[in-house]
Amino acid sequence: MPVIGAFCVSVNREVCINAHMPGKCATCAEVCPHGVYALDPLSGEMRIVNYNACVGCRICAEFCPENAIRINPAESEYVARYPWTLSTIEEIHYKAQTGEYLLRGFGTQHPTPHFDTITVVPSQIASEAPRDKYREECDMEVIIGKDTCEKPIHLKLPFVWPAMSFGALSKEAKMALAIAAAQTGIATNTGEGGLVPEEVWFARGYTDKAFSHKEWEPGGYLIIQWSTGRWGVSVDYLTSGDAVEVKIGQGAKPGMGGHLLGAKVTKEIARVRGIPIGSDALSPCRYYDVQTLEDMKHMVDFLRDVTDYQCPILFKLGPSRPYDDVAACIEVGADAISIDGLVGGTGCSPDIVTQGVGIPTIACLPPAVQALKDYGVHRQVKLIALGGIRNGLDAYKAMAMGADAVGFGSAALVAMGCRVCYACQKGNCPYGITSQKPEFRARLDPVETGHRLANFIHACAEEVKILTMLSGHSTISDLSTEDLRSLDLNTAALTGLKLAGYDRPLSFWEEGFKSISKDGNGHKRPVSKEDMALD
Amino acid sequence: MKVLNAKSKDLKTISKLLKESLNNQPIEVQNASHLHGLAAGLKHGEVIIQGDAGDYLGVLNAGATIKVTKNTGSYVADNMTAGTIIIGGNAGYGAAQYCYGGIVVVRGDAGNFTATMNKGATIIVLGNVGAEVGTYMLDGDLMVVGNAGENFANYLIRGNVYIRGEWESLGHNTRLESLDEEDIDKLQAYIENYQFEATPEDFKKIVAASEKPFYH
Repeated sequence: MPVIGAFCVSVNREVCINAHMPGKCATCAEVCPHGVYALDPLSGEMRIVNYNACVGCRICAEFCPENAIRINPAESEYVARYPWTLSTIEEIHYKAQTGEYLLRGFGTQHPTPHFDTITVVPSQIASEAPRDKYREECDMEVIIGKDTCEKPIHLKLPFVWPAMSFGALSKEAKMALAIAAAQTGIATNTGEGGLVPEEVWFARGYTDKAFSHKEWEPGGYLIIQWSTGRWGVSVDYLTSGDAVEVKIGQGAKPGMGGHLLGAKVTKEIARVRGIPIGSDALSPCRYYDVQTLEDMKHMVDFLRDVTDYQCPILFKLGPSRPYDDVAACIEVGADAISIDGLVGGTGCSPDIVTQGVGIPTIACLPPAVQALKDYGVHRQVKLIALGGIRNGLDAYKAMAMGADAVGFGSAALVAMGCRVCYACQKGNCPYGITSQKPEFRARLDPVETGHRLANFIHACAEEVKILTMLSGHSTISDLSTEDLRSLDLNTAALTGLKLAGYDRPLSFWEEGFKSISKDGNGHKRPVSKEDMALD
Repeated sequence: MKVLNAKSKDLKTISKLLKESLNNQPIEVQNASHLHGLAAGLKHGEVIIQGDAGDYLGVLNAGATIKVTKNTGSYVADNMTAGTIIIGGNAGYGAAQYCYGGIVVVRGDAGNFTATMNKGATIIVLGNVGAEVGTYMLDGDLMVVGNAGENFANYLIRGNVYIRGEWESLGHNTRLESLDEEDIDKLQAYIENYQFEATPEDFKKIVAASEKPFYH
């Protein structure tokens, strides 16, 4: 795997253990996911063999027992050598040598329009007065499936853990997410790789299979993912959760199926998924058992039937044509729709796809919300924003743009200890998050990590609360685009938000929506192929 | 035997009636061709569908025996994990996909994409099958007594594919192998159990050329 970033490693040889006693310490070489360091087998000396491969994750610096390593960004080549930067050159060399394309995890690397160019508008005298964060209440509960199923989900906070499969993540990481969900009253998601049995009771706050001892209050929810690979899917799997999520796509690789590299398919993963040990698990890119929207409707029907009409049915979309995709989900009867943006992507994906396919998270939300409004179900069918949400500020902005809840995928991994080395797919995660190797997994304690994740959620919830109340609201469902302004023309054009200073949306934006939503009421999807044939 | 007439009833009603009365007796369902996803996720019991059935019949079946006297729509026995589904007539597009276990017998023909991603079930088609049958099969047995269409057993990973007739074209990652004694015993048992005319020695066996055929 070639370079994806250009950082400089420097080792202080005065304190480096290996420099004094060759052969004694090889920690940096052991933990580096990209082979920057190598131990000379004869002399035992540590050498930096591949300066160019450093992505700046600083894992080596963290593990170095003598704190001898410094990582500095290389000089900005985007100014001096663009487009022929070092990473571009290395990428071409890699392809020329191996004939293979780049494959990696963790989403986009280059700057992409994101929440940073949006600002929050506080309340002053002309609008509703601000509310007091310390002495007043803020309602953050989100209910999914309120009128459609017998057991709706009551999220205590407007957050979910998005789908990350068992296989992609270690068992311990999945358990930690479930424990955190139980501690904060949110929902965790099985992902498409089958079930980790402990998730079932951990997510609800219980420590044992018999549900006799409740350790974590208030108890959360488990969302079961129904996906194109159908790994480990049975009736018992579907009925062990509180909701079923139908995966259509994901931000890392919209239009492609899940991809688990053979290196991570251990005996246990192979057993759960029903594939040979060490072979790539390649989910199909589409449902082989769905050809039309009508079929999808029937699929939702039988999923409801199998779960005894109790569980909400969720849909997860990649960033494609949010308006039409969300409209289609509403038509087939979704109770909630997650929409993942280009910025998202914990999944292993070809570099060109994770980097260059799909539209940014901030551009997904306005059309999705418009579709919900056109069908008259906004805030009723819940919209969950995913893709590069890092903190309460991003979460607030997504909710003000019309989402009901947000998911923290990459941020959850980072909260578990990840340092973003872009090598999840290799299965050598030194923190045991995305590794299946026992020696790395032993480093991740599910309870302790679960507590870290719960802390992160609580902190983000407080951030959302601060912002909600300073903009004069006492419930998150009252947030609206009026609470935001875009800071540049580009963002104003992408999102339709009012431009700061100009204080109104760009004029073409209103026209834009009129043309796709026709009369703005009861818009139907584009005509089907059969109808077109009749014309 | 209890008889349910599904005429102008919806899935929820029929499904509730079915689950209530399944415990002690076989149930016959009539006029059910408008219901999609009928008899989903049953763990035991016997259901007989009199006449044609809709799409997704017996989806997620986990142990029930389901018999259909005539034809079924698309995706019959989808994601089945255990049990038996026997179809007297033809099965539509994508029969027995994503199955983990159990037995599916189609006495007539089956459509395109039959037995896709089979992960351990036994699927027997006495007639002909369409194109792309047995795509990305990960385990289990597929037995076709008639002929097959294009791209037969495409990207086979594991499991055995037996066919008596001809195929239009064979998919990627496939290899012909001669039958051994175990295969012949197995095929003989299927022939006896499901009572049809065939000689085990007439079948050809297709297996995966490699367990890891994909790029990367």
